[in-house]
Amino acid sequence: MFAARWGSKVMNPICSARLVDMDSELDAAIKTAEMCSLCRCGCCKDECPMYAEILEESISPKGRNVLFSALSQGLVPPDSRTVRIAYSCLLCKRDEISCSAGLKNAQATEALRQYLIDHGVPLLSGHDVMVKSLENYRNPWQESKAARSRWAREFQDRRLVPGKTRTLFYVGCTYALDRSLQESPRALAKTMERFGEDFGMLLDMETCCGSTAKRIGHKRLFEELRRENEKSLKEARVDTIVTACSGCFKTLKQDYPELDKEVQILHSTEYLARKMRDHRQEMAPVMMKVTYHDPCHLGRYAKVYEAPREILRSIPGLTLVEMSSSGELSRCCGGGAGVKTAYPDISLSIAKKRLKDAEATGADALVTACPFCVQSLRAAAEATGSKMKVLSLEVLVWRSLSQGGGQRN
Amino acid sequence: MIDGALLEDIKAQLSNALGERKVLWEKADLLPYTRDTFRNPPGQDFKYWPDLVVLPETTAEVQAVVRVAAQHKIPLLPKGGGSNRTGMLVPIYGGIVIDTIRMNHVLEVSVPNLYVTVQPGITLKEVELRLAGYGLALNQEQGSFKVATIGGSISTAGFSRKHQKYGTISDRVMSLEVVLADGSVLRTGPKVLYTSTGYRLHQLFIGAEGTLGVITEATLRVEPLPEAKEVVLGFYDDFWAANEAAQRTMATSVTFVGGEAYELVDSRAWGAPPGKNGVFYVALEGTKGEVEAQVAFMKNIIIETGGVLASQEDALRLFGKYTEQWCGARARPEIDNCFTTVVPMEKLKEYYDRLWNDVMAKQGILHVPGVKLWLDVGRYRLAGGRYYIPQKGEGWTEYRKAARGQAELATSLGGSISGCHGVGLEHMDYLDLEFSEVALDVMRSIKKSLDPDKIMNPGKMIPTKRRNHLVEIEKRASKNLK
Repeated sequence: MFAARWGSKVMNPICSARLVDMDSELDAAIKTAEMCSLCRCGCCKDECPMYAEILEESISPKGRNVLFSALSQGLVPPDSRTVRIAYSCLLCKRDEISCSAGLKNAQATEALRQYLIDHGVPLLSGHDVMVKSLENYRNPWQESKAARSRWAREFQDRRLVPGKTRTLFYVGCTYALDRSLQESPRALAKTMERFGEDFGMLLDMETCCGSTAKRIGHKRLFEELRRENEKSLKEARVDTIVTACSGCFKTLKQDYPELDKEVQILHSTEYLARKMRDHRQEMAPVMMKVTYHDPCHLGRYAKVYEAPREILRSIPGLTLVEMSSSGELSRCCGGGAGVKTAYPDISLSIAKKRLKDAEATGADALVTACPFCVQSLRAAAEATGSKMKVLSLEVLVWRSLSQGGGQRN
Repeated sequence: MIDGALLEDIKAQLSNALGERKVLWEKADLLPYTRDTFRNPPGQDFKYWPDLVVLPETTAEVQAVVRVAAQHKIPLLPKGGGSNRTGMLVPIYGGIVIDTIRMNHVLEVSVPNLYVTVQPGITLKEVELRLAGYGLALNQEQGSFKVATIGGSISTAGFSRKHQKYGTISDRVMSLEVVLADGSVLRTGPKVLYTSTGYRLHQLFIGAEGTLGVITEATLRVEPLPEAKEVVLGFYDDFWAANEAAQRTMATSVTFVGGEAYELVDSRAWGAPPGKNGVFYVALEGTKGEVEAQVAFMKNIIIETGGVLASQEDALRLFGKYTEQWCGARARPEIDNCFTTVVPMEKLKEYYDRLWNDVMAKQGILHVPGVKLWLDVGRYRLAGGRYYIPQKGEGWTEYRKAARGQAELATSLGGSISGCHGVGLEHMDYLDLEFSEVALDVMRSIKKSLDPDKIMNPGKMIPTKRRNHLVEIEKRASKNLK
C-alpha cells in the first residue's frame, strides 16, 4: 500500500484500519482516493456541475476522494453526511479530462457508494424504490415485465429467434417504459426495418442491464442482473447487439467483462452512421438548425463523438452547430447516476444550464442520443418555457428517412 | 480546539446569523479543510481539523462570523480556492474556516475606467470569462488559474505568467474591502489607480495570508482584450542555451507578456528536433501591427541564439501545458515538493549549481526528472523546480534541512525564499533570513495593532521570536487531536 511507504513505525498502513476485506475494484478506488487526497489541487471543481450548484468543498471529486480515503482509515463514520457527499455526483467524468494524474474519479465514487452500501448505510429515498423495482420487476421504473413490450405492438413479429436472428435490438428499460420517449425505439426499429436489417428483440423477456444499480453502488443487485443478461444474451446467439440507450451501451460494453469479446456491441449512433453511408440517397431534407449534446456515457465513457455528428451532417438540409462545450468537454445534462432521483431540484437546475448552452447556439432543436438526457433536457425546456425542441437522434433520422420515399434513387 | 459546550453555543450563534445551510460541523464536511496542497509531515494528512466551516455570501455575514469568533477569541481561517502550497490553510489550532467560495459574484465592471469589482471567492478563470464578455481582461494567469480565487491570490501575492506586461495580482489591486478582526469593515480607498493621499492600505493585505482580516471585495485594474496574440517558441540544446536567449531578450526593449525557459524530458513528443531539450518562449499581445513586429523581432533572437523555431501548433501546445500540468501534479506515489525562489539574473547558474550539487545533494534529495531547471523570464528570475521528499527514515528532517539550505542560498544571493506560494507554515521558520529583526518587528506591530487577540489565521507567516514553529505547533496540536 502507498501509505506503508512512509514506514510502518511512522504511519499505520491503511489496510489494517479497514473494516472489511476489499475486492480489487475497491482497492483500486481507494488508491485513487489516496492519490487525490495527497494532491488536493481541486482542479476537478472547475466545471463540476454538482460543485457549481452546491458550492461546498466536499461536493467535488476531490471531496469524495478525501472522504473515501478517510473512511477507509476509519477516521469518519459512514453516516448521513457521508451519504450526501457520495451521492452528490453525476459520474459525468468531466473532471477526469482536467486531471493530469489521470485519476479515475468516477470509478472511485461508484466504489465509495458500494462501500457505504456494504456497510449497511440505508439507501437514499428514491433509490430504495428503484432497487425494489429492480428486484421485483427487473426494471427501475416500477412497471411490470409485460409492460416492456407495450411500445412494440407493431413489432411483435420481431421477437428474437435464438440462433437465427443476427442482430439484437436491446431496447433498455427507459426507452421501453417511458411513454414520452417511445417514439425513439419505434423510430430505430422502423429504420432498421427500412435498412433490411435481420434484427429481433427480447420484448417482455428483456431484463435491465443493471446500469442504475451499478451507478448507485448496489453491486450485488448489479451482478445478479448481469448474470441474467449474460445468460439470455448467450442463448440469443446473435452477432451484434444494438442499443439506443447510452447507459445500457456503456454498461454492456464496459461493465460486462466478457460480453464485448463475444459479440459486437454498437450504440445506435454507431450502427446508424455505418448504415447511412449506403442509404444517403434515401434521406429527405430536414430543414433545421440543430445542436448535439454528447451523453456522458456515450462520449466521455465510450469515446463515441464522431458517429452522431456524421449522421447529423449526412441529413440533407440540416445544419449542425456546436455548443460552447462539446465533445469531451461537454457539460452533463444532470440526469445521471441517481442524482435525478435523489436530488431532483439540483438535477433540473443543471439541465437548465445545458439547455441554456443549446439556446445560445440559436438552434431549433437539441439532439441527443440517450433517454436520460432527453428526459432531463425536456424537463428543463418545460420548466423554463423554452421553445427548444429536444429530440433523440433516432427520431430525427427516421423523420428524414420516412419522408425520403424508401427507394434508392 | 473549542470545547463541547462552547462549540454548541457557537454553532447556534452562527446558524442563527447565517442559516444552518451555511454552517458545517460534521466530520465528513470538515475533511476537505484539513489541509491545502501543502505537504504535511508523514501520517499527518488528517491531523488538523477545523471546528467549524462557514460559507458566507455577503460582507455582513462575514462580519457576523468574525464578531462571534472575536467574542470567544477563536481562530479564523479565510479560505479561497484551497490550492495553497505552503500550508497557510492548515487549521493548526482548529477554529472556524471562512470559506469564501459562495462569495463569487462580479459586483461592477467599469468599461470606461477599466476596473472590475468582485467578491473574493470568484476564481481567476471565471473573472476572465466574465470580463471577456465586456472585451476586457484581468490578465492574471497562474498554474492554479482554474481553482485559485481573487481573495486567495491577493492574500498569497500570487504570480501571473503575464507579469512582464500586466504585472501580478499585487499590481492589479486598486482598492479592497476587508472585514477586520473586530468585525469592522475597512475600505482601503477609492477605486482609483493612483492616489497620493496617505498610506496605501490595500497593499497591507497583499500577501498577508489572512493574518490581518478577511478580504470581502476587491477592485482590480483590467485592460481591453488585445487585438492580436502570438507565442514564439524556440527549442534549444539544453536549458542553459534557452536561458541565454531569455537573457538576450531581457536586454532588448521588446515588450513581451511573459516567457519561460525550461527543460523538456519528452521533447520529441512536443515537436522538438532530436537532442533539443531546452525550451524558451515568449507570449506577445497588442495591436496587430505591434505583435507582427514583435514576432519578427523574437524569431530573429531565437535564430541568432541557436534556437530552432517551433511550429505555431507546437508552440501553442506547450504554452497550454502551463495550467494543465498544475492539475493533479501531486497525485503521484512519489512525494515531491516544488519551489519558486527568486534570484538575480546573473546569479541563476550559481544558484542552480549550488542548489542541486550542494544543498540538495547533502541531504540526499533528488530532483524530479524534467523539473530540475525552470525559470520565469523577468527582471529577477523566478527559479523553480521540483524534488522528491525522501520517504524513509529521517526523510522529513532531511527535507526540512534542505528547504532551509535553499532559503539560505537564495537570500545569500540577494533573492527571495518564495516567489509566489507565500510563507504559510513551510517557510516561516527561516523568514529571518530574508527580513531583519526590525522588519519582522514592524510586521508583528502591524499584526498586533489589527489583530490584538491573534485570531486571524494564527501561527502562520510571521515567526514569533521563538523559532522551530513546526515543532511547537506539533506539540500543541498533538494535545488537541480531535
